[in-house]
Amino acid sequence: MSSLLITVLQFLLVLGCAPFATGMVRWVKARMQGRAGASPLLPYYTLATLFRKEMVISPVTSWVFRVSPFVVLATALVVSAVLPLLSGGGMFAGNGDDFLFFAGILMLGSVFLVLGGLDPGSAFGGMGASREMTIATLIEPAVMVTLTAFAAASGTGSTSGMLAAGGGYLLAHPALLLSVLAFVFVLLAENARYPVDNPATHLELTMVHEAMVLEYSGPYLAMLEFASSIKLAVFAIFLGNLLVPQTLLPVGGGAESLVVAVLGMAAKLTIMMVLLALLESTIPKMRFYRMQEYSAMAFGIALAGLVLTILPNIV
Amino acid sequence: MTTMDILRQLDAQVCPTIDAGMVVTDVPREEFARMGTTLVQEHGFRLMTLFATDDRVVAQGFGLRAVLVHDATHEQVMIRTLLPEQDPRYPALTTTVMAAHWYERYAMDMFGIVAEGHPDPRRLVHHENVPEGTWPLRKDFAWNTKMAHDDVPYPMHHVAGEGIYEIPVGPIHAGIIEPGHFRFNVAGERIITLEGKLFFAHKGVEKLLEGRTLLEALPYVERISGDMAVAHALAFSQAAEAIAGVAVPQRAAWLRALLLELERMTMHIHDLANIGGNGTGYTMLVAHGFRIKERLMQCAEAVFGNRFWRGYVVPGGVRADCSDTTIQEIAAIARGAAEEMGVLVGTGLQSDAFRERLETTGVLPRVTAIAYGAVGVGARASGLDIDARRDHSDSAYAILTPAIVTETAGDVYARFMVRVRELEVGAALIARIAREIPDGAHMVPCAPVHGFHVGVVESWRGEIATALIMRDGKIERCFPRDPSFCNWALFGELGPGNIVPDFPLCNKSLNLSYSGTDL
Repeated sequence: MSSLLITVLQFLLVLGCAPFATGMVRWVKARMQGRAGASPLLPYYTLATLFRKEMVISPVTSWVFRVSPFVVLATALVVSAVLPLLSGGGMFAGNGDDFLFFAGILMLGSVFLVLGGLDPGSAFGGMGASREMTIATLIEPAVMVTLTAFAAASGTGSTSGMLAAGGGYLLAHPALLLSVLAFVFVLLAENARYPVDNPATHLELTMVHEAMVLEYSGPYLAMLEFASSIKLAVFAIFLGNLLVPQTLLPVGGGAESLVVAVLGMAAKLTIMMVLLALLESTIPKMRFYRMQEYSAMAFGIALAGLVLTILPNIV
Repeated sequence: MTTMDILRQLDAQVCPTIDAGMVVTDVPREEFARMGTTLVQEHGFRLMTLFATDDRVVAQGFGLRAVLVHDATHEQVMIRTLLPEQDPRYPALTTTVMAAHWYERYAMDMFGIVAEGHPDPRRLVHHENVPEGTWPLRKDFAWNTKMAHDDVPYPMHHVAGEGIYEIPVGPIHAGIIEPGHFRFNVAGERIITLEGKLFFAHKGVEKLLEGRTLLEALPYVERISGDMAVAHALAFSQAAEAIAGVAVPQRAAWLRALLLELERMTMHIHDLANIGGNGTGYTMLVAHGFRIKERLMQCAEAVFGNRFWRGYVVPGGVRADCSDTTIQEIAAIARGAAEEMGVLVGTGLQSDAFRERLETTGVLPRVTAIAYGAVGVGARASGLDIDARRDHSDSAYAILTPAIVTETAGDVYARFMVRVRELEVGAALIARIAREIPDGAHMVPCAPVHGFHVGVVESWRGEIATALIMRDGKIERCFPRDPSFCNWALFGELGPGNIVPDFPLCNKSLNLSYSGTDL
């Protein structure tokens, strides 16, 4: 199978299962709370409905408000194509899937989400934007250090190459488990999940991500929601791949390994979402002024992982 | 020194009388504020309610009445003054007794009487669209008057400066809650000032009650605040019974106590779930808390035909007797709910992250609670030992003697714990009622003709004081003062210093009624 075909297949699969990720977390959370819960497939209907709906756009907004959903969605699409999710042998493997690019494109999405929140000049948008920037700034060092540890361990800056440092390698080099833990911290913060943000809240004053998208409606809202789902799915699958890279589609693999890769990806995503729902059902949200402690902890763990990984090579 | 002596000493001119256990004294309007201030500042009284009446037909002026109570000695004093129709002014009580601030603004809006020197003479009930000179509670204002639309400024507090950000929230919210507007001035996330603008839910209850009989009025009273149907009906009935001079049969008094405690348990469970679950995002508490609350509401529906215990408490007693078997069943359900909730809350409190959210959030200092005349859970969590069940109780509570729960920290955690402990007290009271309820009649005729009294009930939110004036068997004036009316202004004090995302938690920890405030 050609690398182009692999990339296209991965792109379509990730996009296809992203709404399921969001729906799955909600469904498991509902089950944990003793509720019947809406079907995990509900987000597909929600997105379809939103795409058909009329948009209400405040007259005080500028082009920034209209551009933001496209940029945010575009960054999510790029990430879903570039990262090694289905296979480490896509067309971008070792050729553009650098971890700095990954961090940078995430930041680009965050910045435009923030601009879109600020543009209408509503109180909540500004509040959410300020919080998002605070969180993004505080968590960014942890993102870099975590990925650097894997880069150091695998000897390559490309995310597909990094997967060589996952799986069994993790057990041989337990310091990297710290980096995996730090990556979980990053995943929660970047995706506006507990304990950093509460995606299910109706309390405007406590919102971060939701406050920024409050002014959006119709297709623009659908694009932003879809982008969030994709981002969550990408992070979860990537984490799964770091832990269990064995199911990835090898270069030149046949139909059999393709089936394994697809099923493996779906399994990883589902398991991660169940774990996320478990986490969100068992802890309260953190007070916002504890955010720096959370980020500092993430950074500390990530740094420990990095130092312990490269120390043997230096000493 | 008795209250009578105090009053005589304050002013040799006054001649206090005693009416249905309440000391009543008429004073000239210049003396009104001084008299009230002395009782509060020197003799340990507390302002329970203050309201105006339109007495232009019988006395060519507006009446102004302040009811002050002494919680330790259970004494109640009413100071009454008459303001001439052409010049309805008097020196404001608020300049010296902070707790009067909303009452006096309310009277200014509703009757057009002026509290001179009031530190905050802005409108309270009337919004921008109400024209100047609209006084809805004057007798010559018809209840169905269509008002013109106006645009009178309603200046809200505003802080200027670099980095100061103003956040307007509401009156329409993302959740299904009552309407209220909150204005935050913040520096970053830190709240500098916080002001509420309420009164979006005006129903004209006071106006609609006038001229009605007790039974006609009761459905309105029960719906003043939907989650306090029993408490409001009880306060209203107690006022009517005091005027009529009727003593409610013991069995009826105990049945009323049963209902009041059931209402308290239901709503305390709701609040614990709501503070713990929705406030902090600890979903387990809200999911199971609401499920447990639902059991009590279904119990109400099964026994009384509706989920809110409406229509059972009536002036003179209760509408129908309740068999001992039914009472036992209710007590068993209540016991089960309290036990299950105890386990749930116990589990929740083992989480440090959860306690961390509640502790030191929204601190209400004791002195502030006293100054603002705070009542209920909010007051007791700040160390104020007040509870109308003990201090101004009816016959059943005199025997039941409920344990009064107080905490000292005054934060959200303290208010949470007051509810946790009151839930246990409530379940114990219900168990005792089920065991010891006396036999007897469930109702006596109650037909008050003439007179005035204040019915005082400790609802789950706090003290209700329903002032009732009857004339010729009809309601002349009724001011059901909801505990929320006393506690709303507390947000201006407990909010600043907190961060914006913690405000919903502070809000839920007091859980005040918008509808109850805005009659």
